[in-house]
Amino acid sequence: MTRPAAKGTFSMTSEAGELVRLRKWLREELEGHGVPRPDQSNLLLAVGELCNNSIQHAYEGQSGKPIRVSVRSSDEALTIEVEDFGKPFDAEQYEAPNLEAVPDHGYGLFLVKTIADNLSVDIARERGTRWTIVKYRPGRGPAVGTKDGVSRS
Amino acid sequence: MDIDVTQSSEVTVVAPKGDLDMAAADQVKRTLTGLIGQGQSRLVMDLGGVGYIDSSGMGVLVASMKQARAAGGDVRLCGLQEDVRAIFEMTRLIKAMSVHPTRQEALASWR
Repeated sequence: MTRPAAKGTFSMTSEAGELVRLRKWLREELEGHGVPRPDQSNLLLAVGELCNNSIQHAYEGQSGKPIRVSVRSSDEALTIEVEDFGKPFDAEQYEAPNLEAVPDHGYGLFLVKTIADNLSVDIARERGTRWTIVKYRPGRGPAVGTKDGVSRS
Repeated sequence: MDIDVTQSSEVTVVAPKGDLDMAAADQVKRTLTGLIGQGQSRLVMDLGGVGYIDSSGMGVLVASMKQARAAGGDVRLCGLQEDVRAIFEMTRLIKAMSVHPTRQEALASWR
């Protein structure tokens, strides 16, 4: 039987102090979508990192700017979108961290890519960036080993 | 975030309580930088009270570790909860940093 596609949305503003409220909402949302406990923790981190990016980079530290997070699920997968309306993500500027060099920055997007089964970014909009994380339910999705990097649209 | 700082012989133990996220990272950074600047570079960071850490928090720990090592000390970690440990594994910091199961073992590593 197909699980109905439920969708929850959350709005916050671009202050680090809002992240606690986001995590509280998202934990309850993931619990409601039947996401296993280890995946819940990883997804809390991944979504938090995308919101950190919105605060730091898209809005360059300006407070009071909107960030929206939505979650929807099906039998196959959980899909989470994180959207801001600031400076668009510039893939040309992104450099994956060299973990061997033990950097003190640059782990955020690396963690998101590690956690997501599929990550895409939409910057073909009037303003801002919309990230989409797909996490397949256990035993679903493409065969192991087919995961790739960030796809752009 | 509450940060408990205690002295144990030649080692300073720093024990934050709460989420070590972007909102708390500056406070932890100021605490660690301040201690190292005062010559207290032999540090144990007890993360037993931290249930969530993000890249901002990890960046502070790595920067402080480098600062402490440059001053002849180190930042040694202990008490990592399961979720926090998983993130240290993803980023391979579990190997780059000195990580101990308990505060006692982290303190003993300095003797």
